Amino acid sequence: MPINGNADPALLTRYAPTMSSLDTESLTLPDVKVLQVIYEIDDSVMAELLPPALHPTIPPTIHVIGMRAEDGPLGPFTIAIVRVGCRAAVRPRGLPTRAVCTEGEAATALTERWGFPITVGEPALRERYDRQSIEVNDGNVTVLSAQLVDPVPIGNGDLLYTAGMHVANVERDGETKPWLVQVDPDFEVSRADRGSAQIDAFDSNFWDAPDLRPVYPIVASYTTANITLPKIRYICDPMQPAISGTVAL
Amino acid sequence: MKFGIFYEISVPRPWENDIEHEVYHRCLEQVRVADEMGFHSVWAVEHHFLEEYSHCSAPELFLTACAMQTKQIRVGHGIVVCVPQFNHPIRAAERAAVLDILSDGRLEFGTGRSATWTELGGMDANPDETKETWDEYTRTIPQMWTNERYGYEGRAFRMPTRAVLPKPYQKPHPPMWVAVSSPGTEIDAAERGMGSLGLTFGGFAEQEEKVNRYRTRIQDCEPAGLFVNERVATVNFLYCHPDNETGIKVGSRLTGSFGYLAAQLLPVREVHPTRSYPNPGLLAATRQQAAQNPGEGVSAPEGVCIGNPDRLVEEIKKWESCGVDQINFLLNALETIPQEQVLDSLRLFGEQVMPHFVDDKPATTSEPRELAATAAAGGD
Repeated sequence: MPINGNADPALLTRYAPTMSSLDTESLTLPDVKVLQVIYEIDDSVMAELLPPALHPTIPPTIHVIGMRAEDGPLGPFTIAIVRVGCRAAVRPRGLPTRAVCTEGEAATALTERWGFPITVGEPALRERYDRQSIEVNDGNVTVLSAQLVDPVPIGNGDLLYTAGMHVANVERDGETKPWLVQVDPDFEVSRADRGSAQIDAFDSNFWDAPDLRPVYPIVASYTTANITLPKIRYICDPMQPAISGTVAL
Repeated sequence: MKFGIFYEISVPRPWENDIEHEVYHRCLEQVRVADEMGFHSVWAVEHHFLEEYSHCSAPELFLTACAMQTKQIRVGHGIVVCVPQFNHPIRAAERAAVLDILSDGRLEFGTGRSATWTELGGMDANPDETKETWDEYTRTIPQMWTNERYGYEGRAFRMPTRAVLPKPYQKPHPPMWVAVSSPGTEIDAAERGMGSLGLTFGGFAEQEEKVNRYRTRIQDCEPAGLFVNERVATVNFLYCHPDNETGIKVGSRLTGSFGYLAAQLLPVREVHPTRSYPNPGLLAATRQQAAQNPGEGVSAPEGVCIGNPDRLVEEIKKWESCGVDQINFLLNALETIPQEQVLDSLRLFGEQVMPHFVDDKPATTSEPRELAATAAAGGD
């Protein structure tokens, strides 16, 4: 059978939030700019990046995501997210290892209501005619620089975004322990570009993905979309195969 | 109705103790039994890098071995990936011709373009261009087979005039097929006068719709080759057992394992947005089969050929009524079913199911058009 992750979930929770409730309402963020840069990664650590519930994709991948909302119910914000591409049983998913979000209402809501592993910082999503980029600095060190180069328009329906499996400490039945929280936003895309993927800086330790090396570009996309963050419908025990460890709420 | 067997050649981890050698030789043994039972064809895919799911990267070699060990069964090279980074069209034409000669004219030639980033990325091929290159291959390969010399200047490749040798044993050339996984590809097959080699596991209603579209459109086709190959094949699983409940239970392990493996791969659609791949194709369809835990399923989805002979006859009659001409069966995945049980299943199917279906449709439904002057007579 396919390779399972073998990371200790306790080690995946360094930036994981505690969610006191999974009973959240859906929320639509209008006209969000979304940059997604997808790379293949060095396969030597692919299993160590995921808990036993998940399988690495063949080949293993990361998704570097930058999002910027100018307005909306959570106010303006910018966020950078690094996710490891994976499968929960047969479902395509991404496991965020860490996210950096500008300070404000969005950072709080995304953390508490949807389990994003957020620390506050100053990610910068830049839009140029020849490229779009996401950059994160840690002090004077650039820990992430990823770009879409040479954008060309594509159909709004050509894109697929995969759902996230967010590691969070969840209070449930009187016990707090790590769970994988399934977050499957709906993307209503109004404009989409595609281009070459380029990662110029990636500090795997900062992103809590030790030894992860992006090695081969796949593609990058840049869209404008209304994103509806969902109600939480499923959680999964990170230590069990997703096919048997998934719980419907 | 004709019946074939269909190989991905799935090899479970750990890849040690000669497991690949064992699996290949088990497959060959199954092919020999299928030949004895009167199956029409054995098909082998071309896949690369698809861990556990398919270790069948050189199907022409496997099929040559099949041909050497059998008497009647036809060998389906299905599909040849028609993308230059995988196969140069001249090499594809040459290898197919040799296989046709060595099998005494038993080749069926399938064409397609791959649907995974796992493969296309691995070969450094551009997913945007695979439809175009496939189209060029389907037009040019029959010309290489039927003209003494041939030259071409195109988008995917060019060649000064040369004699592409040898020529196939079947005249004017082997029947050609198109892999149909994305909706609408059956129209591509029909427009080119090629067989529709279904690779998804849709239900009866979906299949009937596809067949109707195919049959309508092929009436006005411009054949890519020198004749029309109007046939519709679909793929299915096979586990036949005297006891229906056992058949379904064991067969469900097969369907679940296959779907689970397929889902681990990266479809182009998931990571590389392009109009060339409007849906995930085979992989998404197989996920539906894997909705239940491998080994725990006890129900048989509509149309899936697992169960006892009576159930299989009933299901196949329904496929027949949808207009399907041929069903190609997957027999195993991950070696989920022990070899003896696979062979017993094949024999039981041959003895108790196949006699209910008359194989009365000719291999092709149109006479070859006027042959190129240089295409020699001969073959069967």
